[in-house]
Amino acid sequence: MIKTEKVLHLKSSRGRKVRVVREHYLRERVPCFSALCQAGCENGKVLPGDLTHYVVPDAEVVLNYLEVLELVELQGVVFTQTACQALHSKGRFYNRLRNLLKDPRHDCVLFANEFQEFSYCPREKGESQEKWQTQEYLQSFWPALQAAQDLYGSVRQALQEKEADSSQREFPEHLPAQVLEAGIKSGRFVQGTLNVSKHRAQNEAFVTSDGLSSKSPLSAGVLVAGSKSRNRAVHGDLVAVELLPRVEWRGKVTALSEGLADERSGDDDEIKPMPTRVVGILQRNWRDYVVTFPPRDAAQTQSRAAQRVLAVPWDRRIPKVRISTQQADALQDHRVVVRIDSWPSTSLYPNGHSVRVLGRAGELETEIQTILVENCIHVPPFSEAQLREMPVNSPEKPWAADPAEAAARRDLRRTHLVFSIDPRGCEDVDDTLSVRRLAGGKLLELGVHIADVTHFVREESLTDLEARSATTYYLADRRYDMLPAVLSADLCSLLGGVDYAMSVVWELDAQSLAVTKVWFGRTLIRSSYQLHYELAQALLNGEEVQVPELARLDPEERDAKLSELIQALETLTHIARHLRAQRDRGGALELEGVETNKALADSLDRAVDPEDPLVNRLFRMMATQAMSQAVYFSTGAQPEDQFYHYLALDRYTHFTSPIRRYADMVVHRLLTAALQLERGGQQGAEPGKPPAGNKDMEELAEHINSRNRAAQRAQNLSTGLFQCLFFKERDPETDPRCVADAIIYSIRDNGVLVFIPYGVKGPVYMRNKEGLVVTAGPDGTCEWQSGSVHRHSDHITTTSGCGSATFRLFDHITVRISVLSTNCHADTLTLQVISNQPHLGAAPQRPGSPRRSQLVQEVVRLAGEAQEKAARRPELSKEEREFRQSRTPNLYSLLEEIRELAL
Amino acid sequence: MAGLELLSDQGYRLDGRKSTELRKVQARMGVFAQADGSAYLEQGNTKALAVVYGPHEMRGSRSRALHDRAVINCQYSMATFSTAERKRRPHGDRKSTEMSLHLKQTFEAAVMTQLFPRSQIDIYVKILQSDGGNYSVCVNAATLAVIDAGIPMRDYVCACTVGFVDETPLADLCYAEESGGVSSLALALLPRGGQIALVQMDARLHQDHLGTLIEAAMTACKCVSKVLDEVVRQHLQETSVLSRE
Repeated sequence: MIKTEKVLHLKSSRGRKVRVVREHYLRERVPCFSALCQAGCENGKVLPGDLTHYVVPDAEVVLNYLEVLELVELQGVVFTQTACQALHSKGRFYNRLRNLLKDPRHDCVLFANEFQEFSYCPREKGESQEKWQTQEYLQSFWPALQAAQDLYGSVRQALQEKEADSSQREFPEHLPAQVLEAGIKSGRFVQGTLNVSKHRAQNEAFVTSDGLSSKSPLSAGVLVAGSKSRNRAVHGDLVAVELLPRVEWRGKVTALSEGLADERSGDDDEIKPMPTRVVGILQRNWRDYVVTFPPRDAAQTQSRAAQRVLAVPWDRRIPKVRISTQQADALQDHRVVVRIDSWPSTSLYPNGHSVRVLGRAGELETEIQTILVENCIHVPPFSEAQLREMPVNSPEKPWAADPAEAAARRDLRRTHLVFSIDPRGCEDVDDTLSVRRLAGGKLLELGVHIADVTHFVREESLTDLEARSATTYYLADRRYDMLPAVLSADLCSLLGGVDYAMSVVWELDAQSLAVTKVWFGRTLIRSSYQLHYELAQALLNGEEVQVPELARLDPEERDAKLSELIQALETLTHIARHLRAQRDRGGALELEGVETNKALADSLDRAVDPEDPLVNRLFRMMATQAMSQAVYFSTGAQPEDQFYHYLALDRYTHFTSPIRRYADMVVHRLLTAALQLERGGQQGAEPGKPPAGNKDMEELAEHINSRNRAAQRAQNLSTGLFQCLFFKERDPETDPRCVADAIIYSIRDNGVLVFIPYGVKGPVYMRNKEGLVVTAGPDGTCEWQSGSVHRHSDHITTTSGCGSATFRLFDHITVRISVLSTNCHADTLTLQVISNQPHLGAAPQRPGSPRRSQLVQEVVRLAGEAQEKAARRPELSKEEREFRQSRTPNLYSLLEEIRELAL
Repeated sequence: MAGLELLSDQGYRLDGRKSTELRKVQARMGVFAQADGSAYLEQGNTKALAVVYGPHEMRGSRSRALHDRAVINCQYSMATFSTAERKRRPHGDRKSTEMSLHLKQTFEAAVMTQLFPRSQIDIYVKILQSDGGNYSVCVNAATLAVIDAGIPMRDYVCACTVGFVDETPLADLCYAEESGGVSSLALALLPRGGQIALVQMDARLHQDHLGTLIEAAMTACKCVSKVLDEVVRQHLQETSVLSRE
């Protein structure tokens, strides 16, 4: 190695300039990562040898055109260290570049040129670097790749715009970073994340900061009113704000505005947030946004350049984005993914460029893609390389268990009766059960066997990386799998045949049902029966049913096997009942999805209206909503007394669905590692490498949480989308399906929020925009009249010339549902009260699931007809919905309890 | 802007070294004729001068003398021009007092003091240029000076600092790394027996990592000892040639 020195001029902590000498070591051998290199210093990722050329972009190019280089199709990119450092000092895209380099799917590497003896040139003022002709490169080497050409065009145009622009200021400049930091330290500025109000996106935004103590008056969040004070900050940015002088203070509006009312916005909010203005942006959190190009005839005030279009984002909280494109005509009414590049102070709107076209607005496929992009859900098809990692299982080459692997596992095939119970038509069976009596009936042995997905998906493999960035996403009409089908539906599905499993086996005392022994480990199982809930329930009830697995046996054998199965089911039910009773005593409570503590449980149990099951259900839904969502976290990251659970259990995690949830795979890996450590310790063998550090685990948990939230949001949005599409097809005046029964569950200044058993929640206005109010006639029919509205704590009264009408909390009213169509945003349902009596046609049918799944099917069918395209497996989603919605206390819910108690 | 990337994904550190590589060590012995022993040592950009007087009879108060072994007196100082900003450093500031004490402890473990009862050995070390790892450079320089003075030692004392970044130990930290928020550990080793003369660390580190960190420090110290050994041998060769003439 050769030692040289670098002289740098840096700023010291006091702001003085300091001359610093740093050493710089150069070496002869720095790996070039080319497969053709004969030096043989390769390690890790290597560029394939079959490329026609390599590309070495310089700093300028990397800085401006990184997005183009990010395309997977461009191969053989060699980034130089110099370029990376230039990027690092700009601070913007560095992490993206790092991810790019780490990603095994991209064929690009980093060459550490500054540490190489011959490629290092000491820093001097030299001539400017030769311009790299991106356009030329793309045209001569990738003529077929239209996407890259377009992207290049739009980035380039955006860059040119940036240079050209210099008109008068629209916004005050942001303060420099040092001033911001000093201000935050001294308490003059407050740092926080900007949250734009969903309903008054133009004017209202809040800054919530987590760094403040709860005593501070600012901890509740401060208000940023108006776009001038928001000063170019976009929803999600990390900003610094300054309090406005007292004369400019104004209050927050609590009336229902046009658009949906926020269900949580506390109307009893006593603290008036303090108004502030944004003085600087610490970190932009721009993501990809979906925008809609307006139709041509809409007045385009941007006359200066015909190519510039103001596109309206789908998310109302995002300002309009100015986009320079030559395809403005072609893209009319299309939804397009854009990225925001900059927002100069001279411009009212941010500048952006288009990345990808999703399709025409209003089409089902486009809308679903929109929902995915808006929630940062990326669902590429499984790549070739990924599928290559998968074990083969085809009729010609059936997959067989590896004898060595099989020997290392506990074999439960002969000794245990293993079976699965799932919703009907379920494809991926990832958990099975077994139960048997031991020691002459004194002990019960209960086993839960989970598919051993981590055996097939090695850590850091491509499939693992893909799965990490996802979970299984369920939308109303489809789902996106986390793992390739060969795993999820075949090898990891515990159908018949030999399967690898991860098992927990408890030994229980047959009388007291107290757990005496627990065993964890990898096993080999063979599932004997694949039951579904209805079938299992029927078996328990002693009904005469056909079990498909037994159909071919002769009657004698069948009866023996059947009785054995029924015996097992009965034992399971018995255990489940017992556990449930125990847990109820401990204060757990079954809600719509979650459970919580004793006090709430009791108060909810008292709050039951025997007349009205719908109200009871509504109570539980609202209670669930008020609770915070359960999150994953790394146990190493927090002290034990901070653990908190809804389930009246000491600790809780789940690991029963590794096919669908990445978190479960993580738990599996940790469990395996822990077991290895324990058993290895006993035999004195070398313990395996720990799967991940605490920090990694924390990051992973955070990541999984954010993905889960995104999945949840996407699911809700897609449900909303289907509801809208369903009602869009109908004429609200004539179609009886558009008139429905609704329950009032919240009262606001100028209206009420209602719940409709379709699963729809929404506002009903008592006063419309013209100032007319709702009045009820003698038969309950409502009309618009001029008058006034008075709001009380539990009812709302309208007074007009014809008398007055009162709407109380939990009253049933009749509403008409219609769709409010907008071009640029998601459609919304509007509800209009037509009578203050319960809807007459509201038959006492069981509301909910059947109607909702019908709705999805219907919409899918319509979309399919419209596009002459086959609808995608609506049956499956129906199963999924029923699976989620069954709420009668049946065998299924009991079995769910066992599953929850599994750890 | 994000902080400095101390260890790149490709495994390079800020100055182009890999995680286990030391900085370039250069040393000369016998730089001053006046003192009994002296040495100059550069480790990267950290440069130190060490001088040894003694063993001689106690100066100052005789009451400090020990009846069974020699007293080692160490003094550490930094030149005003040793850092990027010129700074006057009066004698006896806390940092240098602490460093002096550390040096004293280190050498009491290595020098065979029992051979010189009721006497005193003075070791003066001055940092001429500071670029991280001051303690270890001082120890290494002082070792050479003690050898130059002909005072018997059990073994070379070699010291090295190591830091811990991204689950990897980094050997021989430079100033940029030390100030970049790395938890660093300084270790002085008698390499032949593998005995630790001094270990010092005042940062937070998970217990699990301590073993690997000390392991890395010991390897680094052994590397340093090889270099020092070479320097001593070469010096001997030169002086013996001179004296023959």
